[in-house]
Amino acid sequence: MTEPATKASGVDATLRALLADVLGLGEARAAALTEDSGLFGELPEFDSMAVATVLTEMEDRLGILIDDDEIDGEIFETYGNLLAFSLRKVTG
Amino acid sequence: MSEHRLRIDPAGTPRATILIVPPLFEEANRTRRTLVLAMRALAAEGFGAMLPDLPGQNESLVPLEQVDLARWQDALVKVAAGIDGPILVASVRGGVLIDHQVKAAAWWRLGPVGGSSLLRTLMRARVSADREAGLTSSLESLQEEAKTRPLLVAGNRLSPEMVAQLGKSEAQAVEPLRNIALGADGIAGTPLWLRAEPGEDAAMAAAIAADISAWSTTCGIS
Repeated sequence: MTEPATKASGVDATLRALLADVLGLGEARAAALTEDSGLFGELPEFDSMAVATVLTEMEDRLGILIDDDEIDGEIFETYGNLLAFSLRKVTG
Repeated sequence: MSEHRLRIDPAGTPRATILIVPPLFEEANRTRRTLVLAMRALAAEGFGAMLPDLPGQNESLVPLEQVDLARWQDALVKVAAGIDGPILVASVRGGVLIDHQVKAAAWWRLGPVGGSSLLRTLMRARVSADREAGLTSSLESLQEEAKTRPLLVAGNRLSPEMVAQLGKSEAQAVEPLRNIALGADGIAGTPLWLRAEPGEDAAMAAAIAADISAWSTTCGIS
C-alpha cells in the first residue's frame, strides 16, 4: 500500500524540479510551492512558451503522453491542479 | 551570403578548433551566453573556439522560412571546410540533428534531443497562445497547415520542409562520439535551454570546457 504514496511523492518532486528548471525558480521557491500556489497568470515567467516546455518535459520525465484535448486553462491555474493532473496521468 | 561567426582564439596556434553547433530556435538564445563563457575557457586551454550563426538564426539576414535542416547541415560543412587543423564538433540539444556531415576528428554532444520533441514544444506554444487569444488550434491542425505553407510557431516561421524534416529528425551516428547529459554522471548544471528567462551558469560553462578538453585528449587530437 505504500507504493502509491512513494509514487505520488516522486511525481511531486519531479514536477517541482521541472518547474524550477523551466521557470528558473531556484530550489527554495520550488520547494515552497503549495497546492494553492498560482502558476499561469500569477508567475510572470509562465508564458505560453513556458507552458509548452512544461508539457513536453512532463512527458519526458514522467513517461506520459498528453493530448491537446486533455489540456485546459485550469490545469495551469495552481500547482495543486497541475500535480493532480500529473498523478492522474501517471497512475492512469 | 556569409554568416557571422563568433571566434575566440587562444594566445598561440590552436591545439584544435572546437566548432560549437548551438541549440535551435529559442534554445540558442537561452544558452548562448553560457556557451560563449565555455568558449573563453576553451581558448584559455589553447583551443580555438567557433560559434557560427546558422542561416535564419541569430544575426543572419536569411529569412528563417527559407531554410531547413538540410541547409543547416550544408552550412556547417562549409564553415568547417574553412577551418585549419583538426576540428572537434561540440553540439548542444537540437544542434546534434545537423552536425554529422562535418569533417571532424571527434564529436561531443550535450543534452541531445529529437526533432519531433522540439517541434512538439513549438507547436504547443502556438496552441497555448491561440487559446489565450480565443482561437482554437491543435497539434493536428497545425501539422496539416504546415504541409502547404510556412507555419508561425513561437515567433519562428518554419517552412513546410523544415516542419517535415524536424518531425522525423534524430541524431545520426558519428565516430568517435561522447554523448553527455546534465547531472551527477555528466555536466553539473541546470538545463538553461528550458529556461523561460535567459540565464547564465559560469560553473556549468567551466565544466563544459573541461569535459570537451578531456575528450579531445582521449581522442588523441591534442
